[in-house]
Amino acid sequence: MVPFVTAFRLPKNGYTIDECEDAFDYSLDSLRFAISDGATESSFSDRWAQSLVKQFVIEPPFGVPPTEDSLQFWLLPQQMEWQSGIDWASLPWFAQEKAERGAYATLVGLEFGAHGTIWQKFVGRALAGEEMMWHAFAVGDSNLFQVRDDELLHAFPLEKSEDFNSRPILLASNAGNNLSALKDIRAAEGGCKPGDLFCLATDALAKWFLAQHEAGEKPWQILRQCQTEEAFAAHVKLIRETQGVRNDDTTMVLLEWRES
Amino acid sequence: MPYSAEISRANPSAFLFLIDQSGSMVEPISGSENKRKCDSVADAINRLLHNLIIKCARGEGVRNFYEVCVIGYGATVAPAFSGPLAGRDLVPLSEVASSPARVEERVRKVDDGMGGIIEQKVKFPVWFEPLAKGITPMGTALSMAHKILSEWVQRHPASYPPIVINISDGEATDSGPVPQAEALTSLATEDGNVLLLNCHISSKPLQPIVFPDTDADLPDDFAKVLFSISSILPASLRELARAEGFSLGPESRGFAFNADLVELIRFLDIGTRGSNMR
Repeated sequence: MVPFVTAFRLPKNGYTIDECEDAFDYSLDSLRFAISDGATESSFSDRWAQSLVKQFVIEPPFGVPPTEDSLQFWLLPQQMEWQSGIDWASLPWFAQEKAERGAYATLVGLEFGAHGTIWQKFVGRALAGEEMMWHAFAVGDSNLFQVRDDELLHAFPLEKSEDFNSRPILLASNAGNNLSALKDIRAAEGGCKPGDLFCLATDALAKWFLAQHEAGEKPWQILRQCQTEEAFAAHVKLIRETQGVRNDDTTMVLLEWRES
Repeated sequence: MPYSAEISRANPSAFLFLIDQSGSMVEPISGSENKRKCDSVADAINRLLHNLIIKCARGEGVRNFYEVCVIGYGATVAPAFSGPLAGRDLVPLSEVASSPARVEERVRKVDDGMGGIIEQKVKFPVWFEPLAKGITPMGTALSMAHKILSEWVQRHPASYPPIVINISDGEATDSGPVPQAEALTSLATEDGNVLLLNCHISSKPLQPIVFPDTDADLPDDFAKVLFSISSILPASLRELARAEGFSLGPESRGFAFNADLVELIRFLDIGTRGSNMR
């Protein structure tokens, strides 16, 4: 089995890609994939989202799924990095006051194989016919979908389009603001076979995905056809204009396991 | 659906504050210890501008989701920003942020998390100074708002409609406010008409009436006139107000009568919360 990945991120209409506060990262060596949506209402949330996905791919939090304590511990160096990356003295009063409130972001981390053990990954990949495992954890409203045999097998952590509201629980760059987020770590796991499709998506696209599925459609088919950034941008433009999809930063990581 | 336009840098919205600066504004406001009405209103407006700026601040700057104008009416009717913005009417929010008249340091009492209270120094930028002198030319102030916004809606046809908030403690002494208010609220963008919210502030410790849907409980003709010129709140603002604990019907108007200090701030907060910002 070989993973094929396409990944795109798009800013809100009227914004540049530099202003996009979504982030993704992945590694085909460690088979880790992450997506994060920095909250538009907070300052420097783009950097916060980037550091979360980057660190997940390098070294995820301990535990499958991570515990409250292990996630808190894992966040610490990134919180310090976020703080020290801001040139506080040069900020005008309003920017300083805003940044003091911290940045917020969602996170979905997906990993194949047993957590942190190369051996099991190797076995998982090497033993044809035997299912490889995946496990994921999430805070907030970015979503993971698993599609098998052209049917939706998993939607995680949100399962219905109506579950998306504008106030998700988010991971904060200020350690003191994470009490509710750390109590709301969601986890899921499952098997993985050749032909399986995994899709990580930020909220606007994830909500559309679920609404389409609820209406009897197979939204993954069209997403799979988006092989270039232009095609993805055209699709997102279309669903924003004709299907009431929110004008929001929109990010997708699509992973297809093909027979080697 | 009206009042649903996204508020963005390309399609900003606008807030206009019309502030009564007549002589009676020196009286204390109900609900505070001898704080003058003009001081309470100035504090509320400065705090509101502060909150709006923080809400729109991103990274090093402020996004221009709004243009803001403050008009004072009393001895004169004129734009009422102090400091570098003096004399200007509509000012983009980022410029408001970078140009306060001064930044005061005030002390705020906060919970120390261990059962005690600690004093914390906070920055309190000031754009608008209290003033109380002269009569109540509310009609002229509404006309000035009309003049400013008639140009604005032409330049921003797709924008969320401007919101005008009029704060007064008394009756108009000119021919206003009915014909001028009607002209003002007849202005519209493709997303809806200009909204006019009126807040009557009180010296008397009477129960305030906020977001009423009928004038039946209002005590006098003046209150009924202000009710009649207040816009019926669109659904989105009604929802926000309900979430904040106000009880509203579908015909509720953007009107507060006999508002004390607490209600003034709550009223302003709802009035400026329309937040479909992108």
